[in-house]
Amino acid sequence: MMQEPQEVVEETVTIEEDPGTPTSHVSVVTSDDGTTRRTETKDISSNVKVTKMVKTVTTRTVRQVPLGPDGLPLPEGSSPLGSYTDSIDRRYMKNGGFITPQATSTLTRSYNNSYNDSYGEAPESQYVRHYGLHDGYADLTDNYGSLSRGVNFRPPRYPYLPNSYRPENSYTLPIRKDDYGHVAQPQVPMGSSTVDLNRSQPERFQAEPYGLEDDRRSLGPEEEEPYELEPDYSTANRRTLQGANRGRTHREPLRDMPRVRGYPDEAIEAELIDERHPYIHGMYSAPLAQPERGSMASLDRMGGRRSPSIDSIRKDPRWRDPDLPEVIAMLGHPIDPVKSNAAAYLQHLCYENDKIKKDVRQLKGIPVLVGLLDHPKSEVHRKACGALRNISYGKDNDNKVAIKICDGIPGLVRLLRKTNDMEVRELITGTLWNLSSYEPLKMVIINHGLQTLTNEVIIPHSGWEHEPNEDSKPRDAEWTTVFKNTSGCLRNVSSDGAEARRRLRECEGLVDALLHALQSAVGKKDMDNKSVENCVCIMRNLSYHVHKEVPGAERFQDPSAPQAPGSAGPQRKKKDDAGCFGGKKAKGRKNGENDKNYDTLDLPKRSEPSKGFELLYQPEVVRLYLSLLTESQNYNTLEAAAGALQNLSAGQWTWSNYIRATVRKEKGLPILVELLRSDSDKVVRAVSIALRNLSIDRRNKDLIGSYAMRDLVSNLPSGQQRPAKNLEEDTVVAILNTIHEIVTDSSENARSLAQAQAIEKLVAINRTSQSARETKAASHVLQTVWSYKELRNALTKDGWNKSHFQPTLATTPKATKNGKPGYDDTTLPLMEKNQGTRKCGSGDMIPMDELGPDGYSTIDQRDKDCKYKTVDGSVDQTEREPLKNDTNRKHYIRSNRPAVSLVDACDVKPQPVDSWV
Amino acid sequence: MSSFIPGQPLTAVVQRIQIQKLRQGDNLILGFSIGGGIDQDPGQNPFSDDKTDKGIYVTRITPRGPADEAGLKMGDKLMQVNGWDMTMVTHDQARKRLTKKNEDVVRLLVTRRSLEEAVKHSMGSYPRQ
Repeated sequence: MMQEPQEVVEETVTIEEDPGTPTSHVSVVTSDDGTTRRTETKDISSNVKVTKMVKTVTTRTVRQVPLGPDGLPLPEGSSPLGSYTDSIDRRYMKNGGFITPQATSTLTRSYNNSYNDSYGEAPESQYVRHYGLHDGYADLTDNYGSLSRGVNFRPPRYPYLPNSYRPENSYTLPIRKDDYGHVAQPQVPMGSSTVDLNRSQPERFQAEPYGLEDDRRSLGPEEEEPYELEPDYSTANRRTLQGANRGRTHREPLRDMPRVRGYPDEAIEAELIDERHPYIHGMYSAPLAQPERGSMASLDRMGGRRSPSIDSIRKDPRWRDPDLPEVIAMLGHPIDPVKSNAAAYLQHLCYENDKIKKDVRQLKGIPVLVGLLDHPKSEVHRKACGALRNISYGKDNDNKVAIKICDGIPGLVRLLRKTNDMEVRELITGTLWNLSSYEPLKMVIINHGLQTLTNEVIIPHSGWEHEPNEDSKPRDAEWTTVFKNTSGCLRNVSSDGAEARRRLRECEGLVDALLHALQSAVGKKDMDNKSVENCVCIMRNLSYHVHKEVPGAERFQDPSAPQAPGSAGPQRKKKDDAGCFGGKKAKGRKNGENDKNYDTLDLPKRSEPSKGFELLYQPEVVRLYLSLLTESQNYNTLEAAAGALQNLSAGQWTWSNYIRATVRKEKGLPILVELLRSDSDKVVRAVSIALRNLSIDRRNKDLIGSYAMRDLVSNLPSGQQRPAKNLEEDTVVAILNTIHEIVTDSSENARSLAQAQAIEKLVAINRTSQSARETKAASHVLQTVWSYKELRNALTKDGWNKSHFQPTLATTPKATKNGKPGYDDTTLPLMEKNQGTRKCGSGDMIPMDELGPDGYSTIDQRDKDCKYKTVDGSVDQTEREPLKNDTNRKHYIRSNRPAVSLVDACDVKPQPVDSWV
Repeated sequence: MSSFIPGQPLTAVVQRIQIQKLRQGDNLILGFSIGGGIDQDPGQNPFSDDKTDKGIYVTRITPRGPADEAGLKMGDKLMQVNGWDMTMVTHDQARKRLTKKNEDVVRLLVTRRSLEEAVKHSMGSYPRQ
């Protein structure tokens, strides 16, 4: 029995060990592939999504405000698309009312070759006609931000309208309708595509605005042209892009073409032209896109000869988007703006479209993009980064591998060193974050990028300084996107096993900077954001197995544990166990001694401040983690902080003794116990395991036994009926194991357990739980309780008898053979095995769970995210003293739980609520 | 600024505030923090009257910082930054707009309740800059 506890403890450690797992847990990140990818991906994607949302809103606004008066974008009659009209409308309008379908489905369609015939055959006059309209509109859209501005811009364009556009048609929905109807009806091919459209519409439409947004985002700086004098260049770009995104209008392509070609140096003009006639891209690239030459037929047609008959059939589509091979070919176009536009367009196309990503890969587009990373023009490498970021996102690891194979990782890192452009840095680190979610790439990223990421991003943004200037006060961390991305990347790679941990621990300045950032977060009470979460997760991962992995760890092995210093890991483990077993009775005493030592002797004297990885396990970090546990609203952060304490309090070495005692002295136990009431499953689990490790310290065990028992028990399911929380099996097992640890070797604690009405629940679990692991764990606790003869009287009085405390036949057949404690020995291994499996299997199991939480459906997290959005600094756990919005928040959490679908609105951005500027 | 109906003309009493950024190491700081944005939960905004207002609000001010000196107040709603609309932007967009490295000065258009009460019926929305 005594041994059991120890074993259990070990396991706990192991859990952490899952190092990866813990990591994964914590960071969810990683360890589990599935989890990892998703998580990170998610993060990034979430950004994008946010953007998307934004976009939608924006669009709408635009439409309503500036456009409304003109009736341009009015959604009412316009399209069959319903609520997505906004974006559609826009495109629609631009393209002369027909483009929507095209824009949406062009790529795919042209892929399928079903589209070739359908475009390029409208009369020129039409182009001209629509042109004015389009142009004016685009501007409006661009300036969506300001209400009045949009209006301003418009007037100059008005003149075009009457002239160039059919009066009846101008800006009114009906027109569009007309056009649409026109098109859709007569054309067979069109018709079919329309059908497709309908099917895919929801996605498409969503995707489009997103894509746009995305593009816009990347164009961020350029948006400002009206106010800030930005290079014309970029301006042009922007427009071009937008044009491209919306679907291209090619009006008068022919006319302009020669000009463009004739004056290649007039990049700006060329771009402007592009903007108006995005189709020109196609023209440019036509020659380049050899493989797709066949599809170019239509281009030729556009070039001049159009078949009138077809024209009459399809009124509008006389242009088309370039198809994918063409776009990829354009990446190699000699004119830089074409390159960058192609890359930007690619980014847009790839947005949330796994098919296109795959196609890009198969068309060998990725090496080209990677090659563009070294392009001297920022516009070009920026757009290439953007495309790579989108391509690297998602479950398809082949895309990630493709980036790695063509040396994309060193390429990104190299660019990171070179560029000062914040946006490019965001894109680079975002891409690396995406890549880091794939296990085999983690080491590659560490090898190529660890020190660079640390020096270029982590250290400067953390506010940490190598040699602090005495005069200046310490700087605070800045939660920039770059920092968030980079910390996310490191969080992922930190879960890649012992070697990865070693590299990160020994990376100069990393641990120092992370700690500084976290301390600054605590100081500013700004700890709910994603960056903090990432940092804590890294710390947690790096804290895993410090007692075995850190250089010189032997010297600190607990003298009270009979171990030979310097013994190898596994051996040591055994010895630990042995020590525990052998010392069961003595253990308490020993720990007591340790405590005494701690109390009286204080921490070891240090001649100089510790630095680097030593900081990981200094007792000072306890306060940091406890602050996070007290203040953070972010479940992941909470889980990671608890996990860090769990890791640090595991193992038998001097520092874990100190840590365990420090947690107590810093009044950390009540904080942890309170978190047992958390709504988040994984927080409960991490806290529970941490308590188990902490109870290696005898005093902690006594305290936890007296004060935490009820909270532990209340998390247990009662019989078939799950408690309100409905915790996962893993969590229930963790709690049972913690209880087991606490009651082992302490009849006092066993008595508290019985008084907490736990026996009923334990018996119920033992008899009826569907989970073999739960059953086994409950059974162990029961056996331990029954082993205290002094309790049996009381138990019998409560109506229990020996049979209740014995393992049930069905679930643990072996148990019956042995009968009593002796049987435990057999069971333990079993149990261990189980746990082991779970850990190993965590790759499978956890991801699912984690995904839920972390991912789309992560209710908890999202709640959290949302919650802290507006709230300033410190918000406490729901149960804590109410701060400002606490009540709201509480309500929010609870009510939100079931309503997963509502979440997207909130979560999406793990952004801080509050940003210092 | 109470309710804001998209598409409707907006009336707001605004004040222009110009803040000279302060250099702190490599950073230019304004000395205030913002909350809100169309990607944030407006219900959590303690400063807005209208809990659906997704505007950008000043949440904190560094005492004696540049924003403080310039007269920015906690709870002010940012209408424009250097001419850019702030009523329909994401949190991050607003932040970026405020933290342009190449700008030493930001000109804000803000509105606050006290202003509005003081000046009724003023038309000041969206003056162009």
